[in-house]
Amino acid sequence: MADNREWEPKIVAFCCNWCSYGGADTAGMGRFQQPSSLRVIRVMCSGRIDPLHVFNAFLEGADAVLVTGCHIGDCHYVNGNYKTQVRHQFLEEMVKEMGLEPERLHLNWISASEGEKFANFVRDVTEQIKKIGPSPLKPEGVN
Amino acid sequence: MKEEIYQTFCPGCGVGCGLYIREDPEGNTSVDFMKSSPANLGKLCRFGMKVPYHYSKARTMVTGSKADIEDAIKAAAHRMADADSVTMLSVGNTTSEEHMAFCRIAETLGTRVDTGVFPLPSQITSKCGSYPEGISLDEMEKAKRIALFLDPYVQYPLIVRRLLAAKRNGAGIVAVGTKELHLADETLDIGPDRYDELGLDDKSLIVADIHPNSDPVHVKQLLDLAGRCGAKIHFMQPFINSTGVNLALKANGSMMALAQIMEDIEAGNIRTLVTLDSDPVELMPDAAAAVETLKKLDNLIVISSRASPVTELADVVIATEPVYMKAGTFMNVEGRLQENSGSGVAGIDAMSLLNGELGGKRFDYQQLHYIFMKSIGDPGTDVGDVTADKAEQMECGSVDVDNAGSSVPEGMYQLKYLYNPFMWFDQKDDNDFVLIDRKLVKKLGLKKGGMVVLGSENGKMKMRYRVENIPGGMIMTAKKIPVATGPNTIISLEGC
Amino acid sequence: MVEIGDKVLGYATDPGIRNRGASGGMVTAILAAALERGLVDSVIVLRHINEYEAVPVITDDVDEVLASAGSMHTVPVNLAKYAAGRKVAMPGKPCDVRAVFEQAKRNEIDIDNTFIIGLNCGGTMHPVLTREMLVRMYEIDPEDVVGEKIDKGKLFFRTKDGEEKAIPIDDLEDAGYGRRESCRYCDVKIPVNADLACGNWGVIGELAGNATFCEVMNGKGVRLLENAIESGYVQIEPAGEQSIAIREKVNSAMLSLGEKWSARVFTEIPEEQRINYYMEQFADCIDCGACKEACPVCTCDEDSKCTMYHSLADDYKMSMYHMVRLLHLSDSCIGCGQCSDVCPVDIPVTSIFRRFADPAQKKHNYKAGMTLERPPFLEVMLK
Repeated sequence: MADNREWEPKIVAFCCNWCSYGGADTAGMGRFQQPSSLRVIRVMCSGRIDPLHVFNAFLEGADAVLVTGCHIGDCHYVNGNYKTQVRHQFLEEMVKEMGLEPERLHLNWISASEGEKFANFVRDVTEQIKKIGPSPLKPEGVN
Repeated sequence: MKEEIYQTFCPGCGVGCGLYIREDPEGNTSVDFMKSSPANLGKLCRFGMKVPYHYSKARTMVTGSKADIEDAIKAAAHRMADADSVTMLSVGNTTSEEHMAFCRIAETLGTRVDTGVFPLPSQITSKCGSYPEGISLDEMEKAKRIALFLDPYVQYPLIVRRLLAAKRNGAGIVAVGTKELHLADETLDIGPDRYDELGLDDKSLIVADIHPNSDPVHVKQLLDLAGRCGAKIHFMQPFINSTGVNLALKANGSMMALAQIMEDIEAGNIRTLVTLDSDPVELMPDAAAAVETLKKLDNLIVISSRASPVTELADVVIATEPVYMKAGTFMNVEGRLQENSGSGVAGIDAMSLLNGELGGKRFDYQQLHYIFMKSIGDPGTDVGDVTADKAEQMECGSVDVDNAGSSVPEGMYQLKYLYNPFMWFDQKDDNDFVLIDRKLVKKLGLKKGGMVVLGSENGKMKMRYRVENIPGGMIMTAKKIPVATGPNTIISLEGC
Repeated sequence: MVEIGDKVLGYATDPGIRNRGASGGMVTAILAAALERGLVDSVIVLRHINEYEAVPVITDDVDEVLASAGSMHTVPVNLAKYAAGRKVAMPGKPCDVRAVFEQAKRNEIDIDNTFIIGLNCGGTMHPVLTREMLVRMYEIDPEDVVGEKIDKGKLFFRTKDGEEKAIPIDDLEDAGYGRRESCRYCDVKIPVNADLACGNWGVIGELAGNATFCEVMNGKGVRLLENAIESGYVQIEPAGEQSIAIREKVNSAMLSLGEKWSARVFTEIPEEQRINYYMEQFADCIDCGACKEACPVCTCDEDSKCTMYHSLADDYKMSMYHMVRLLHLSDSCIGCGQCSDVCPVDIPVTSIFRRFADPAQKKHNYKAGMTLERPPFLEVMLK
């Protein structure tokens, strides 16, 4: 990477098929400005996102991981996002204890129509990460 | 609900970690921790945790078909009596008592037992510590400076905690020719000509290992180094009873390296081989070549507690009970004599019968135990002179060694085996990858999740890789792979 | 005749059991009675190997149960895993009992068929370190020891010549001996989650050393005790107020000592240093998997998330194995210390797991292994 270019963080966003992926789509269609740092991974439900996937993202070099899903009560699989929420409480605690900055892990509920919310969310996180720098878990040799 | 619980020791290496083997009524075994074991406090490595897989029972066979033990013994005796000369190999995978029984048979035949380790110069006992029984591992924790010539994490994991304790006690640790080790203060990639730079003195300790595929020249270099700087030297050994068999041998035998035995078989000088819990196919770096060599024998007689490639090739297999069931003792690398709780003497009875068939005396466990204790100079056995014929000491310099390994041709790499328990017993492990240097990843243009192609005279193969900081020009692996022709193999390498 | 909440003093009626077993042989007698009268199919006991070593066995032989009599402070095993899939009675330190509950939550143990006689526990010691301690601190040959006891903060050893020597536990622990680290900061000393909570705390007067204080915690406890009384194995009498008070006093003294140790062990690691601290600790890991195998709350098979998504070929900065386990145990770790005991490279695994589990369990106002009511948090139940 050329030295004069600003460091661009890598952000992995897990999006559920029914809401937040739609939100990401809407953000694109609405031409909301979004940073190039984002990698979207579509899953059927946020309840499918195992903490393992989050760890894997970090260990492979993600600077932040966003877990997104339908608003509570709107899950297309009855209670998938409720499971996500419970898991997130533990995951959050673990990330904190490990000494990873809390800014590196976010949970957010975004519906398919909330394109702007999605775009703002990603932009905010990118700004925060740019301030705190690369993740300490990033493997050697990964940008 | 009746479980059998055996107090035994891990057969993975010479540390001799205590463990329990539980056997349920269906014969399934599992491992349990023996926290009162002084060698390991109940702690076990990767191999120890998987040790139940190791005990695959052998079956008594004569020329490929299942046989009674008596018939197999008769067949073996017949073949051994008819042979011009018999070579006998026991590397130390079984009890001291079984090894002594094996030695009795050798005596009856007028031959000797080899342990597969090359002859060591006599200086090793005098100046710089002793071999085969090394220093106690507690003492390792007290060394002021430690030079490591092995990778403890992969090869002898139970000394890692000793080295870490030494470090906490203020020791400096330097590793030579290994990958970058977390516990080492520095890792040096230097040859023997620069060993003096290690800064060792008489409060230092050199940790290396001796096994059937060790390079005698390297061992001599380390002994020279120890001699020059006054450091102690401690050799780790790969088998549960390596120390015991080599110690017994020091008193009354000579030694021939495994590679030399295999060469002699290849050349037709050895036509009858008898092994005791020792599998040349597993032990030799190139398994396929070893199989071909063993096929040249007129007689291959295998006495074994576990099924392994050599039991498939043997003319006669005399199966004994698994090691954990045996009555008997093992000596670990510290020289600590440890005793199994088992009471199995099937192996000893079989060898007693075999010795009888050959015209020798029958023996029992008690006699053998006494002979072993006597041969290692136990003061409890008040018998006069036991030194018998002192081993014929060969000067290391005179050992014929292929020195080509030291110079690697341009564009080629040296593939080094990191010998570990899984490798010695060719057990499955999650290690089908080679270690390559970080710089090489760029040079070969490797991609994440990609493979490398290793090539030698034995052909080519694809393998996964793991990136480490390792000495330049070197590739390491902890898995036995077909492209290797020796402990160090010159190979070509490309990305794919 | 026995009711939930009863606090009694009891002992074995058989003089042989009473003398051989610790504190009147009551626990041994209850176990033997449960087996003999068919309350359970088998019993978990420790088979005595020597003064410092015993191995857990599952037996249906009453004689083996009787032969196991006697408590041992140097056998730091956890018995929960041996109970899986059986109709069994077992003795249990608080950590054994807590592990049984965690196993039961994950359907490995049927709690209704598992009878647990809890034992008060001030801590256990490592056998090899204890031998070393005897030589260095007590100047006693470990082979000469015939008995040990803990009284008023001192650890006593009795030799075969009848001599007794005591050193304050604090002194031993400052020298690196004494109880295992996890025992020092343990916060459950009386196994209130067991069916019967037994121990010698509060046994006073002429019964001292010769009887057991026993609290009946639930219906299974009633069955256990009634069964033992009906079969003539055990005799009880109500515990006096003084006994009850003394037991409580010992308990609170032990607990406050535990809190002090907790503060000593869990010194705050500054946030910005944590990740390096953990990476440094785990860097020596040799991937033996013993911490998972020894873990009494882990109910996964050999192939589980932590092992299957972890490969020796990975060169991650922290291994996936440990990441998964850190999270997985944050809701279930009981701090029993088994993982530290078996770690071949001496990583302080237990204290690391506690560092993750404590804040998570506190946040949910929850202590692992105490009841069945709280589900495993990471497995949300469908409503």
